[in-house]
Amino acid sequence: MKYRIIALLLISGILSALQVNAFCGFYVAKADAKLFNNKSEIILVRDGNRTVITMSNDFKGTVKDFAMVVPVPVVLREDQIRIVNRNVFDALDAYSGPRLVEYYDENPCQPVFEYMMDAVPAMARTMNKEIDVAEDFAEKDLGVTIEAKYTVGEYDILLLSAKESSGLKTWLTQNGYKIPASAEEVLEPYIKSNMKFFVVKVNIDKFLESTSEYLNPIQIEFEHERFMLPIRLGMANSPGEQDMIVYAFTKQGRVECTNYRTVKIPTDRNIPLFVQPKFGDFYKALFDNAYTREAKRAVFLEYAWDVSLQNPMKCDPCVGPPPMQKEFQEAGVNWVNSWGGEPVFFTRLHVRYTRDRFPQDLNFQVTSNTERFQGRYIMTHPASGEFDCDAGQSYLYELQNKRRKEVDELIAMTGWEGKNAYNYIHEYSNRMNDERRNEVLFPFIKLPSGPAGMLLVFLGLLATILLIPERKSSYSRKTIE
Amino acid sequence: MERILSLRSDGLKKLHQLILGDARHFQLIYLSSFLVFGIYSLGWELEVTRYLIIAVSCVLTQLVGARIVGASPSSWKSALITALGLSLLLHSSALWISALSGVLAIGSKFILRFNGKHIFNPANFGIILCILLTDQAWVSPGQWGSDIILIYFFGAAALMVLLKVGRIDTSLAFILTLFALEATRTVFYLGWGWDVLFHSFSNGSLLLFTFFMITDPVTTPKSKKARIIWASGIAVLSFILSQWFFVYTAPIWALFIAAPFTAIFNKTMKGETFHWIPTSK
Repeated sequence: MKYRIIALLLISGILSALQVNAFCGFYVAKADAKLFNNKSEIILVRDGNRTVITMSNDFKGTVKDFAMVVPVPVVLREDQIRIVNRNVFDALDAYSGPRLVEYYDENPCQPVFEYMMDAVPAMARTMNKEIDVAEDFAEKDLGVTIEAKYTVGEYDILLLSAKESSGLKTWLTQNGYKIPASAEEVLEPYIKSNMKFFVVKVNIDKFLESTSEYLNPIQIEFEHERFMLPIRLGMANSPGEQDMIVYAFTKQGRVECTNYRTVKIPTDRNIPLFVQPKFGDFYKALFDNAYTREAKRAVFLEYAWDVSLQNPMKCDPCVGPPPMQKEFQEAGVNWVNSWGGEPVFFTRLHVRYTRDRFPQDLNFQVTSNTERFQGRYIMTHPASGEFDCDAGQSYLYELQNKRRKEVDELIAMTGWEGKNAYNYIHEYSNRMNDERRNEVLFPFIKLPSGPAGMLLVFLGLLATILLIPERKSSYSRKTIE
Repeated sequence: MERILSLRSDGLKKLHQLILGDARHFQLIYLSSFLVFGIYSLGWELEVTRYLIIAVSCVLTQLVGARIVGASPSSWKSALITALGLSLLLHSSALWISALSGVLAIGSKFILRFNGKHIFNPANFGIILCILLTDQAWVSPGQWGSDIILIYFFGAAALMVLLKVGRIDTSLAFILTLFALEATRTVFYLGWGWDVLFHSFSNGSLLLFTFFMITDPVTTPKSKKARIIWASGIAVLSFILSQWFFVYTAPIWALFIAAPFTAIFNKTMKGETFHWIPTSK
């Protein structure tokens, strides 16, 4: 059967629905405002030993309470810290997110005509941020050394090194960072591993000067052999499940996790039409299901593609405009220029981590695997018109079987109950003639329509029932003999 | 009735002979089951073509090599074990690299020899050379995950193979030394919890290496004492490589570097030569 693509629907909104917040570091609040860190987004660029990490900022609360601590392997120079436009995250998310594809069946009883192609843009996210006043950093000697101090964009940034965790904890507390009690045990290993601490606060004056209504993402860049994301600190103030989306860019190919399993999210599945309005919920349920199936300790691959400017085909189908030079530059992919440059490979990973299943920080490696992948779900609109020709009737029969499979697959993928499924499967059964309807009931036997068919079914059942006692009695007679 | 019984016992004897007569049969069964387990339970890609190409290149290279030097005809089993090792560990973005890995692995057995024994573990040599020569090959240490069930599965399988081969000392020396070193650094010095350490030690790649790669009886030293020193050395080296050079596949590199030392150990410390099929005395 011939299919034609009509509209592509993306959901980026679902990811915001997956509950939002914290990344590598943890948010520390001065007030007792409850800060829930449940989803974060990271852009990772790796080229040789050069790593660029961009951290999105979904902070919800008063700006003066915003603070962030991220362990970094080296002391960063001022030119290695930037703020970037939040839009780059939305663009990358929209582009690489799981997609719902629509196909339209053609009526076999009618002539073929062309359809238009259309795309529905990604849902924009709204952000509300409160503005308040920030406090300055105070300096105390507790074995804590301020290696560097910068103001970048609306942020006051410190690079700290520490001799021991209790000193660092005291210093942070005295300087107005509320450290979760469980953070100390994680600070110790980072200090001993010679890691530095990238500490961020909002400079309110600068923030008021800026035109932006929300906090901009921070980007850091450094040269180090280690290619990892420290997630343990982020667990300190949120013991529950946290989601993290990683958009990774390399020259060679896919990025994969080296200390956890990287698993592909189920893809290319046919799903029923009624899923469309709740596609976000569908993907959430699908992810939950996959996450549980993999014992809650896997990293999921959601997208992998060569997105080089010179590569014309970047998705099948595309759900948004592909990242262009501007986005690449913003993300820290510095090897792209207006005429292309070296290849860019885009990997999107989705990890849901908890303290008990993810004891180690995430370690990554760049592989030369350039195989394409995308989370893609297909729904098919049935043909319209009359189905009075023979091919039309066969089509309805196939449609019913296909829909049954779609529902089965949906239940298997999401764990949803198939409550409204019956009506969906049998939507067209009244347009089938009797012969076809029977075929659906008894796919292997062709029954005559009307009362004759009913009689045959009755006789068949009767014969089956009669057969059983007959065999039993013959057996008992034999044993008596 | 007696005839039937004797026939059955004949069959059992044959089965017994088939499985226990040659430790390689054990290895073949276990390594294949890991591959099946990976594909069906861990969601690996079913890359039949890749597995076939590796198997064919290994066995062909073995047959050609054996013909030239006049080696035992049963050596194709060793080649198949190497092929399974490569299928389980080495990934590549092109099929010719898979073929190359097989040729390099088995080829090294015939070319890089000292005192009548090959120097490198064939699968290890194939993996390292492919990574070094092409930039399109890699090992995915994360592909096995870290599940307790996996440890059990590996442990049971490995124990049976090792008891047959008699090289369990190598595995134990390696894993215990590595554990002691990592525990000292990760838990006692750095202050991470024990779960961080256990996460590393329940990794399937490490277990596969410990019980199936480092134990290859031909490329390990003959003397038991030498084997323990040698395996501990590999542990120290992988510890350094992973902790300070951030090499995620450290044991594989450490074994590659340590392989030539086997010859030195064999010169200085005496031991019995290993034979795959037990020789009747």
